[in-house]
Amino acid sequence: MGVSELEESSSLLDEKLLRFMDQLELLEEKRATLNSLIEQGWFSISKARYTMGNKQVSALQYASEIEPHVCVHARTQDNGEVEFCTKKVEQNCSNEADKDVKSIEDIGPQEEGVRRRNKPKKDIAEKEASEETSGEKAPEVSPVRKSDKNPQQDPLKWFGILVPQSLKQAQSSFKQVIELSAEIATLQTAVLNTREELKHGMKNKQILQEEVSAARLDKEADRTCQ
Amino acid sequence: MAGRGKLIAVIGDEDTCTGFLLGGIGELNKNRKPNFLVVEKDTSITEIEETFKSFLARNDIGIILINQFIAEMIRHAIDAHMQSIPAVLEIPSKEHPYDASKDSILRRAKGMFSAEDFR
Repeated sequence: MGVSELEESSSLLDEKLLRFMDQLELLEEKRATLNSLIEQGWFSISKARYTMGNKQVSALQYASEIEPHVCVHARTQDNGEVEFCTKKVEQNCSNEADKDVKSIEDIGPQEEGVRRRNKPKKDIAEKEASEETSGEKAPEVSPVRKSDKNPQQDPLKWFGILVPQSLKQAQSSFKQVIELSAEIATLQTAVLNTREELKHGMKNKQILQEEVSAARLDKEADRTCQ
Repeated sequence: MAGRGKLIAVIGDEDTCTGFLLGGIGELNKNRKPNFLVVEKDTSITEIEETFKSFLARNDIGIILINQFIAEMIRHAIDAHMQSIPAVLEIPSKEHPYDASKDSILRRAKGMFSAEDFR
């Protein structure tokens, strides 16, 4: 009975060890990719700096309002592992801005009748009409301001409107790095989790081994007594 | 905040921070506290450690990326962090390539095969 349990725990330990090794191998692979991508990113930043000037690509260029474009979702699984996955932040402000733009575009065709560019005489009716049109126009202005205030702009624009291609390349490689870093964080927690499982498994196996050896000794002692 | 997910924080040299901010992870919250720290020559270790600890204490941060040479300065603080959230990731820097033997996580994993674990 004890021997079969011992064999079972040993095979379980083997499985866990193999899983652990696989995870470590995968981690190393992803690390290598991450390192090369970061290097590529730095190289592109340096190129951009060479093109734009030394002080044009620095921490001084960061915007005063910074909003995240990417976030991570951490999901804790039943076995204690944490899975990280990156997600683009839905830009509420930009959606609002889009709506506003649409509303501005819609205003043109909605106006009925012919416009009077030369106002002949000041009639009360006309005054009212002009008030109405100004009333319509008032909300037109405010949304435009809203979109101007929108802080969730592309970080590339911190460094100018016409940025070199190399800065765009840097951005794309760092975006990849961010995605990869979430995967690596997941793998790291998995590795640590498997390590803990292995430790527990080893302790259990040790206890079982001691039990089996104690039982054997008892049996041998019984035989010698008989 | 719950629906938005967690942030990625960075502690690194200027180019590393610039790169990651270009990637879109930067945030200045309502108290104007950033989720990044640009480490320069005159940045003190105390400041780095305090920032790292403040990132650990913030519950809106999911991953902390830190240059390995900076991680070396505050190794004790990184080793003391045992929770899985926020996850701490050591990344290379321009002057210092990544060394797996210094990585806290890999050292912990490696420790499995040491004599202490068999006790």
